Amino acid sequence: MESRLLKPILAVYVGLFLLFLYGPFIVLGILSFQQGPEGGPQFPIQEWSVFWYKHILGLAPPSRVSPLPIGISLTRSLTLAGMTMVTSTVLGVMAAQAFRRNFKGKSAAFYLIVLGMIVPGVLVGLGSALVATTTGLERHWYSTAFATHVVYTLPFAFLVMLAIFNRFDASVEEAAWSLGVPPATTFRKVTFPLIFPGVLSAMLFAFTLSYDEFSRTLFSSGREQTLPLAIYSTFAVEIHPNVFAFGVLTTLFSFALLTVYAILMTLSVRRAKRVAIQEAV
Amino acid sequence: MTATEIIVEAADATPPRSTRSVGAYLLIAPAIVWMTLFLVVPMAMIVYVSFWTQTTFKIEPKLTLDSWQTFFSSSTYISSLWTTVRIWLTVLAMTFLVGYPTALFVGLFVKNKTLQTTLLVLCVIPFWTSFLIRVLAWRPMLGKEGAINILLMKAGIIQQPIEALLFTDLSVVIGMTQIYVVFMVGPIAFMLGRIDPNILEAARDLGAGFWRILRKIIFPLSLPGVVVGAIFVSVMVLGEFATSAALSGRKVNLLGNIIVTQVGSLKWALASVVGVILTFIMGVVIAGLLRIVDLKKEL
Amino acid sequence: MRAHVAEGSVLRLEQLTKRFGDRAALDKISFSVNSGEYVSLLGPSGSGKTVLLRAIAGFEAPEEGRVSIVGEDVTRKPPHLRGIGFVFQNFALFPHLSVFDNVAFGLRNGGDKRTESDTRRRTLEMLDLVGLNGLETRGVHQISGGQKQRVALARTLVIKPKLVLLDEPLGALDANLRMRMRVELRRIRERLGIPFLHVTGSESEALAMGDRLIVLDRGAISQFGPPGEVYEHPANPNVAKFLNCYNVFDGSVQGDAFVTNHGPIPLARRVASSTPAYAVRYDRLTTRADAGAGLSAAYIASEYLGSAIMHFFETPDGKVVELEHHLSNGPPDAYEAGRTYRLSWRPEDGIAFV
Ligand SMILES: Nc1ncnc2c1ncn2[C@@H]1O[C@H](COP(=O)(O)OP(=O)(O)OP(=O)(O)O)[C@@H](O)[C@H]1O
Ligand SMILES: [Mg+2]
Repeated sequence: MESRLLKPILAVYVGLFLLFLYGPFIVLGILSFQQGPEGGPQFPIQEWSVFWYKHILGLAPPSRVSPLPIGISLTRSLTLAGMTMVTSTVLGVMAAQAFRRNFKGKSAAFYLIVLGMIVPGVLVGLGSALVATTTGLERHWYSTAFATHVVYTLPFAFLVMLAIFNRFDASVEEAAWSLGVPPATTFRKVTFPLIFPGVLSAMLFAFTLSYDEFSRTLFSSGREQTLPLAIYSTFAVEIHPNVFAFGVLTTLFSFALLTVYAILMTLSVRRAKRVAIQEAV
Repeated sequence: MTATEIIVEAADATPPRSTRSVGAYLLIAPAIVWMTLFLVVPMAMIVYVSFWTQTTFKIEPKLTLDSWQTFFSSSTYISSLWTTVRIWLTVLAMTFLVGYPTALFVGLFVKNKTLQTTLLVLCVIPFWTSFLIRVLAWRPMLGKEGAINILLMKAGIIQQPIEALLFTDLSVVIGMTQIYVVFMVGPIAFMLGRIDPNILEAARDLGAGFWRILRKIIFPLSLPGVVVGAIFVSVMVLGEFATSAALSGRKVNLLGNIIVTQVGSLKWALASVVGVILTFIMGVVIAGLLRIVDLKKEL
Repeated sequence: MRAHVAEGSVLRLEQLTKRFGDRAALDKISFSVNSGEYVSLLGPSGSGKTVLLRAIAGFEAPEEGRVSIVGEDVTRKPPHLRGIGFVFQNFALFPHLSVFDNVAFGLRNGGDKRTESDTRRRTLEMLDLVGLNGLETRGVHQISGGQKQRVALARTLVIKPKLVLLDEPLGALDANLRMRMRVELRRIRERLGIPFLHVTGSESEALAMGDRLIVLDRGAISQFGPPGEVYEHPANPNVAKFLNCYNVFDGSVQGDAFVTNHGPIPLARRVASSTPAYAVRYDRLTTRADAGAGLSAAYIASEYLGSAIMHFFETPDGKVVELEHHLSNGPPDAYEAGRTYRLSWRPEDGIAFV
């Protein structure tokens, strides 16, 4: 049988595929330990060193390589991602909650929201920059850029919550109402704790998408750069291994975030297990 | 009961219904308002401004076709239009060719659920690093003194480093394929995972060879996944500008790059023209892809 | 239980109508439940039992008609202001809360503010009443089906609702447990005197528990009365059919007899009905002597039901006829598979719907 041979071949192929996905990172990781400040962003490694990490953190002696403007732009990016996360999660949960009922224009509303993740960032950025310039509004990362970020992350939060509510057994809410508990309290005490894992995922989505977003930000954030914009500006000039060291650090940061998410998720998994067992009965 | 009584009662009984949909409207309103103000209005603005009059650094709401004429009479812009289409089609084909075997393995050949999930997670992990860093990571990979050239020379396969690897169409295609291939693998693997193994057994029992089964059964069943993946990849590649900026040394100018440079020199009207053209292409591509399969029915 | 029936109705429905699209799931339902009364609701699947309860509780908005609780029109009130308890078939316990917190939930978060010590006292009392002491700190996934049922009941009863709606509360339990819970349910309710409107899929449950029985058919009430009366005098062939204790034959009246495919049957009791049919209870049939009315059918099989045994026969044209033999009337007869017997009953035991 041909397929008996096919499976190992495909397995090897998938191995190569993963190498293709990860190869650049590995190279990037290695080169981030290049000697500094003379060592360039290429092989061979002249001497292993952590110079570029020190350079990032501002601990290296001044050299011809100017430091990345990380401190302030990192703060901006984190603040922006936090704002975007909260706003899009709140709006997403509300919209998904509305979608549990039938109303006129429901499918139009669905397409309008989902459009936000389909339209390319350059266009959304360009459009909001146009609106801002023609109306004389100043562009800032915390105003115009924030608005476009939410346009991008809200659909993700919305879809995650829609999926969660799809599997949600509404009779526990009805049970609460029939016990004389008002809808708002019911939402706080029953619905929210039960959809919390979904909310957490929506938040994670929104935060990371916003934190990494730059094509929308490029036109809509004005002069003050966010972190991705600071990296993007290095595209134009000669790159140094400090960018690589920075890449390693942001990757570590992302994984730290992922770990926090995993921990929070495990904590609420016990609850989810209870639900599962109750449903199975 | 008289007719009037019935009417009055019916009217009385309606409020619970309408209060409920009022509640739904209140809940959905913020999202709708936000999307309208910050997505629909800006998009409409792009179309509108594309007909405005451009002076050196300003735009005026005097309607004109000047910018459109500028675009279509400039060989630079027209050629960037074709570059965009060419790069898009190449990347689309590459993500499919590179991704399909992986999806085939993950979705069809791996029976163990844990291994399946692990492989998918491995594909997704790179998304947890910055998009721009992922693009930049290709530079030390592909350069003249890059990892690939060094490896090939050490292995004795080549004597001279291949210079065509970086700052060409090729490097842009390689970079984009690596970044976007996962969007192709995911949906296809999902569709393949739903194939009933009994169908394949039956076909094998009838003596069909693997290639025949692949062509006649597996591929048609995975087609909705291919279409979804193609939509993802198309939308993202068509709106690209960063990968081409970083990996082509400004030699590959996509429509996205044109927009960026025009905005940089405050040529808003021309940028808007390019924006409208990009939106149009994207609409056509999505509509065309959706014609291949009826997704609502298949998913 | 008739002693509990006091003056004044707790629940009153007038012309209640609920449509889904242009199909009426409830069609002009009117009835009332008196204070302290236990009303069972019986009907075939899809007859609108759940929709009726949900409309009363306020989860579903009716298009027409009125729902009144203790004289007050609540048709337009949201569920949490109606003071009606609801026990769900799947229990719908709060999965993230312990047994105690489930029961205390309504007291803590409901309209009236009360002290935590009062809440504790009432919750513990209620847990005691339903026999759940010692399980307070368990998660609701750590208890059995019957215990979940008790939690669901306790949670509802502890806030002293004016009326409790139960939608097949025993449906998720196994047969054995169902019997025990049936007794429990009745005991608990008698202690509290709260009126119950209980949807049940089981006719024996309806017979055993209700002061009155409502039979629902395609969104309309077919019959409403004391269970014994409904059983003895079904109002139409449909009611007879799903009471699940009547053989119902098609046919028509010709002179003094009801003529079926299986031969004519002498007429005694007549009930006016839109469709003609003839009904006779399973336990009125005998093969021992000719009692006056009867037909011939071949024996197929038997089934033990504990206190009774069901014998199944089939007429030549394929109609299954059931004969119920109560074991208190002596040992069952032995039948030979495939052999034809004469099944007979006294003419006055049959009902002719004409
Ligand atoms: N949300 C709904 N939308 C449309 N039709 C509905 C809805 N809920 C119920 N129905 C219809 O109304 C009718 C009555 O349903 P209901 O659930 O009350 O039946 P039931 O008597 O409770 O049956 P069962 O014994 O199977 O639970 C059915 O035909 C059902 O299909
Ligand atoms: Mg029901």
